[in-house]
Amino acid sequence: MSFTVPLLLRGQVIDEATVEFGGRRGGVSFRAPDLSKYLNELTLSAPSKMGDLYTISLEEIFDFLAKLGERLHPEDNPYLQESFELSRATSGLSDSILRHHYEGIPNYFRKEATRDIAERLIGIDYLEGWVEQPQTIQRNTRLSIRAVGARAVHIIAGNVPVVGVTTVIRNAITRSDAIIKTPSNDPLTTAAVVRTMIDMDPDHPVTRHVSVAYWKGGDTSVEEYLYDPRRIEKIIAWGGFAGIKHLTQYLQPGLDLITLDPKHSATIIGPEAFADDASLDAIAKRLALDVGVLNQEGCVNARVVYVQSGTDEAGLERANELGKRTFAALQGLPDHLSTPHKAFDPELKAELDALSFVEDEFKLYGGRRNEGAVIVSQSDVAVDFARMLACRVANIVPIDDVETAVRSVNAYTQTIGIYPESLKARLRDRLAFQGAQRLVSLGGAATLMQTPQPQDGIEPLRRSVKWITDERADGDYLAAMATA
Amino acid sequence: MSDLVESLSQDPQSFVHAHYNEGFSLRREERDAIALAGLRKRFKQLGSALPAVAKLAADQGIHEINSIDDAAPLLFPHTVYKSYPLSFLERGQFDRLTKWLGGLTTVDLKGVDLSGVDSIDEWIARIEKATDINLIHTFGTTGKLSFLPRTKSQTALTATINAHCIRDWSGYNSGPDILAHHIPLISPSYRHGGSAIIRGMNFMAVNYAGGYDNALFLYPDAYFSADVISLAGRMRAAEARGEAGQVNIPPSLIARRDEFAAREQGRAADMDRFFEEARSRFGGQDVFLFAVWPILFEWAEEGLKRGMKGVFGKNSILTTGGGSKGKVLPPDFKKTIFEFLGFERHFEFFGMSELMCSAPRCERDRFHFPPVIVPYVLDPATGQPLPRHGRQTGRLALMDLLPESYWGGLVSGDEVTMGGFDDTCECGRTGPYLEATIRRFSEAQGGDDKINCAGAPEAHDKAMDFLVGRTQ
Repeated sequence: MSFTVPLLLRGQVIDEATVEFGGRRGGVSFRAPDLSKYLNELTLSAPSKMGDLYTISLEEIFDFLAKLGERLHPEDNPYLQESFELSRATSGLSDSILRHHYEGIPNYFRKEATRDIAERLIGIDYLEGWVEQPQTIQRNTRLSIRAVGARAVHIIAGNVPVVGVTTVIRNAITRSDAIIKTPSNDPLTTAAVVRTMIDMDPDHPVTRHVSVAYWKGGDTSVEEYLYDPRRIEKIIAWGGFAGIKHLTQYLQPGLDLITLDPKHSATIIGPEAFADDASLDAIAKRLALDVGVLNQEGCVNARVVYVQSGTDEAGLERANELGKRTFAALQGLPDHLSTPHKAFDPELKAELDALSFVEDEFKLYGGRRNEGAVIVSQSDVAVDFARMLACRVANIVPIDDVETAVRSVNAYTQTIGIYPESLKARLRDRLAFQGAQRLVSLGGAATLMQTPQPQDGIEPLRRSVKWITDERADGDYLAAMATA
Repeated sequence: MSDLVESLSQDPQSFVHAHYNEGFSLRREERDAIALAGLRKRFKQLGSALPAVAKLAADQGIHEINSIDDAAPLLFPHTVYKSYPLSFLERGQFDRLTKWLGGLTTVDLKGVDLSGVDSIDEWIARIEKATDINLIHTFGTTGKLSFLPRTKSQTALTATINAHCIRDWSGYNSGPDILAHHIPLISPSYRHGGSAIIRGMNFMAVNYAGGYDNALFLYPDAYFSADVISLAGRMRAAEARGEAGQVNIPPSLIARRDEFAAREQGRAADMDRFFEEARSRFGGQDVFLFAVWPILFEWAEEGLKRGMKGVFGKNSILTTGGGSKGKVLPPDFKKTIFEFLGFERHFEFFGMSELMCSAPRCERDRFHFPPVIVPYVLDPATGQPLPRHGRQTGRLALMDLLPESYWGGLVSGDEVTMGGFDDTCECGRTGPYLEATIRRFSEAQGGDDKINCAGAPEAHDKAMDFLVGRTQ
């Protein structure tokens, strides 16, 4: 299969693709234009060119996005159809799950949704104008604050299509100027959205301030030019440790790096899960959701599952029973949420195969082909390859004391699914100190994701705008300070 | 020729008595006959004796082997020799580690005295004391070392076959017979330790060089510690995840801090002494040298810096391998090495610690497998064996027919292109060969943090610095 990933340059479509790239999965390759020829146009040479974004109201931006959303139904949008075809090969999500996410794209553009984001994650009044702050003790002075957009490069993740979609929306709402670098495992979805925008109105200020490009991460000929405080102010990067680490070499005063780091998520289940047969069944189903939804491609998905079953013989028996039922529930998840993984990691498979050499230490449910697996540790130790858990493979770790689970949480822990609610209430402050960033009811890790909410312990939208202050004081009051 | 087919079919270990070159002029059907007979023999012998093989066979419904491909599902994943949980080491559960190892070998480990064992090095020593096993460890990616239950006689067999390769590679007796006519042995590495190379070097010092008096080691007294290399691996893995500083140092290592610190201080002096003795005791003589390219390069650069050039005799022998993975060498690195050494005769091998017999590189830059190794190319996606004809690219898997006490079948982590099933290499040798384009699958997928034997000494040194620095 061969695809062209066009360069979308401030309302222009450049599809003279001369450079060939290999995709991350699926043996597909794609071609893209030689970006080095367009670097000059890609960046906004003067910040004053952001001015056109301020000739329209936020209400007009919401309207524009809503109108765009109406054109983003996959059944009649050829760009999305093409990107769907490419994603089928490059994404870790099966067709059924991808389709579900594609069908959800228009919803993100509804006016209620975008307005809600603007209002709750920043404040519409701050985006629209200068907000005078309440009078303080200094009675002769006044302070006003406004949130204004910034010129930013967005290095987005490709594990779920929504990442690019929300990036486009966030950029419009904050009246920023975005250069979106698409990932090799989803090079076209964001481009499809922006291309539809170009078809709709190539000269609209929102269209003129979003570009979508592909370059190979680490290409110094592109990055050395772009990551320069004369050309951009912020880098918003999703991604792996190596990728983020690589970016840090470009940091200098005037360049702000906002990272949405690689994270892992976990689960803590209290002894109440084993109260009776029916609760255990329900717990297994909820755990299967946390593991399986999005085919475990998300950082929100459960991987290591601490269960306060006890570690004596009876405790292990309880943990094994939960493992068995969770594996069964995983197999029963509906297709639009989860399926056997189409590109099961062969290295992970080798690790699962090797578990048969330590049967006293680990029990394995499933894991024969690509159906997913639940590993139940037979002591309070997670598998050594816990970091590799993916493709619907989870590790249940029986524990005696919930402290073992709490101590395992660190700054790399994102979501923790917890049962019961009382345990969550009891642990939540401590988990927060430890580094956890999102606590959810068991089963909600990948299904709730209520928006708007902070992400990875930060408020990326507040970070992505510039907060400008205007201080005013009475002239006589100031002049008086010059004399004793 | 049929004698060789006959004897190898009866007993693959009889390769140790063969003219090495004859292994590479076998016809396809002869080679296949040896392979099939060997697979059947080992399956019969170990299929019931090793629970892991028995289970794999039962899972796959394999009761007998009627073709070479029949054995493919019985090859172990490459993770097998490190399938023990790391917690065994962290919690000092050496009894459980021993039980795990016992499942992989027919050698009885029940008599091993484990009282007071609190380190890997000590564990290896106890096993060596009580059994025929000279445990071999590798240099793991995440601090998890593979442990191979190789016996003392197997290590001897390996080094003997290696000597025959040197003797016969370009025809019977085309090279020196170093088992009969001893020559000095030079090793720019550790004398003591449990890696495959170190184990081999000790046998070679006695049998190639005629004794330790005729051998020169860079570190003649220091021990290449499995505990330190394990710590090094864990540090590296933690660093790659951004969690450096969260690695716990086992108390048994902290207790050995003084020993390590003393060794650290001696390192520079060791290097000086090594160069001095290389010149004064062995300068101008024909010697035997065994080291991977990156280590040779480092050594050559250091030597040239000291003004040393053309150190050894023209008829010296270098055996090497390991590619340059993990290190970037300049394009003319071999020239630098040969300039320093003073000779160019070398044998390069594709091998791995898990294999008792390596594949030498020919004049056409291909690595040829001896008939006692049965190579497979597997479809990377399905794990199914690809057809045994033409050229195939995929995951390399191997059945080493030599070991009789542990299972020699292994699926590697290497992506390779193999030919020679039905054509003859331009060098004139028959049988399957690998093109030189070998790479790790993890590398193919955009990253390689594997510490291979090339990077191991450096990782070992780094961990020592860390250890000595952190615990003083």
